[in-house]
Amino acid sequence: MTDQQWITLQKIIKNEIVQPLPVGFIIDCPWLPNWYGINILDYFSNDELWLKANLKALQDFPDVMFLPGFWSEFGMCTEPSAFGARCIFPINEFPHAHKVIQSVDDIDSLPQPNPKTDGLLPFVLNRLKLAQPKIEAAGHNIRFAVARGPLNIASYLMGSTEFLTTMMMQPEKAEALMKKITLYLKDWLHLQMETFPSIDGIFLLDDIIGFMGEEEFRNFGMPYFKELYDANVSVKFLHNDAPCKVSAPLLPEIGVNLFNMGFDITLNELQQLTQHKVTLLGNIPPRDVLASGDVTKVREVTTQLVNSLQDKSKIIFSCGGGMPPGVSSENIQAFIKAVRT
Amino acid sequence: MDELVVRISHCVENGKINKASPYPNAMKGMEGADELTKQALDAAIGPDAILQACNDGMQRIGERFSRNEVFVPELLMAAKAMHAVMAHLEPFFKSGTVKVKGKFVLGTVAGDLHDIGKNLVRMVVEGNGWEVIDLGVDVKSTKFLDAIKNTPGCIVGLSALLTTTMVNMSKTVQEIKIQFPATKVIVGGAPLTMDAALKMGADGYSHDPQGAVTFLDKISAA
Repeated sequence: MTDQQWITLQKIIKNEIVQPLPVGFIIDCPWLPNWYGINILDYFSNDELWLKANLKALQDFPDVMFLPGFWSEFGMCTEPSAFGARCIFPINEFPHAHKVIQSVDDIDSLPQPNPKTDGLLPFVLNRLKLAQPKIEAAGHNIRFAVARGPLNIASYLMGSTEFLTTMMMQPEKAEALMKKITLYLKDWLHLQMETFPSIDGIFLLDDIIGFMGEEEFRNFGMPYFKELYDANVSVKFLHNDAPCKVSAPLLPEIGVNLFNMGFDITLNELQQLTQHKVTLLGNIPPRDVLASGDVTKVREVTTQLVNSLQDKSKIIFSCGGGMPPGVSSENIQAFIKAVRT
Repeated sequence: MDELVVRISHCVENGKINKASPYPNAMKGMEGADELTKQALDAAIGPDAILQACNDGMQRIGERFSRNEVFVPELLMAAKAMHAVMAHLEPFFKSGTVKVKGKFVLGTVAGDLHDIGKNLVRMVVEGNGWEVIDLGVDVKSTKFLDAIKNTPGCIVGLSALLTTTMVNMSKTVQEIKIQFPATKVIVGGAPLTMDAALKMGADGYSHDPQGAVTFLDKISAA
């Protein structure tokens, strides 16, 4: 993000109305490589192509806040890889990590990863370091420390069904796993912040939150998220595009001040649930409208969204979730135009 | 209704697997679905009545889930309790004393390792008297096609959590419909809608496990 975009983002979070109305999208491997015309494996394995794809998006859509911006990542494999998860990288499909915990007894012996050296994390960081001069030359800065959230990682390491039932049957084991992952994530986020002093935001992505009731979330999620967001940064950003009605009222207490949700809830309702304390990034349907709709449909649904809002403060217009595969430049332009006219 | 049957149903609804299970807290130390089912069979209560108790318990928890009164972990625990019952009933299924309603081939589509939705559907559908052939996660379309070929008359369920794997779901539905046009397909998963399901050529969509049971029972009754 440019300095100006960062200032604008902070103004929005501080409840200032900005004109024109702001547009932002989370962009990463599901959309960017194929939009740029390369396959996903090339995007992951070639630093130059990764950088060029990111720069091209910024050049084509200079008025859009791309979040987190220059996201160095290996899809769902990034964080689980440091625990030794087997990572699968098909040529033009999304990578995925296999679980490493076969039974709850494995939790205690799970190694505590070192983000400086373990799994794909050194590659993530080094890519950003190598690209930093060109990113800055383009007028941008690295603003966010990014990681999948602790519940999401626990589910990858153990299997989501197994993790959720362990929470109910052997809560002490689930807590031990969450503590281990949280410590790892704190190390990982701090390493990113140390490496890039321009970082002033934390971005966590975790859709397992959406499967939990309030009691489970308060016990097995909230304390760990609070710990992770308890850092001296100005933007505390969470993505959860699974159901969020249970967790939304708790977001201010966790420290979250920017939230990207799914499309199954209205922004008006979310403003109520979050006591208007959280900036919302959303939320037209990503796949059915932004990717599959034509320009007319995108314009129509976006205009409906803008007009539906009783209060446009603390809103950044986007889709509900990250940018999905197959979204055309024309549809993004139609979205921007609909927000701004 | 026999008291034992009522208690089995209650255990299933509340996810009480057996006496050793610490969940739910309010039933700690009490007998669970496992012990009570054994007692019921020893007392010559018919397996059909026990299966019905399971169905009732799963239906109640499924309805509470649909109303957002309970969430995925509670539903998973109920399904585990139901499995404890089904382990005792398995010989009756094998002998034909208890008849299954039909066969349901189920899997999470290629590229997606999420198993929550698929497992929930499996457990609830099984609890409602269907035989489920669970193909697991990250299932390629060829594996679905093989399973359909080997399971005549089956209905197929495709699950996905990631928006990004919707493309694979759509491809799988289309390949099934080309090779086995009469086979009914239901799809489900967080990023889906009925509209998207119909566009990809599926016969049905459900956003929760109970909806899948309703769909299957309707097809079975037709």
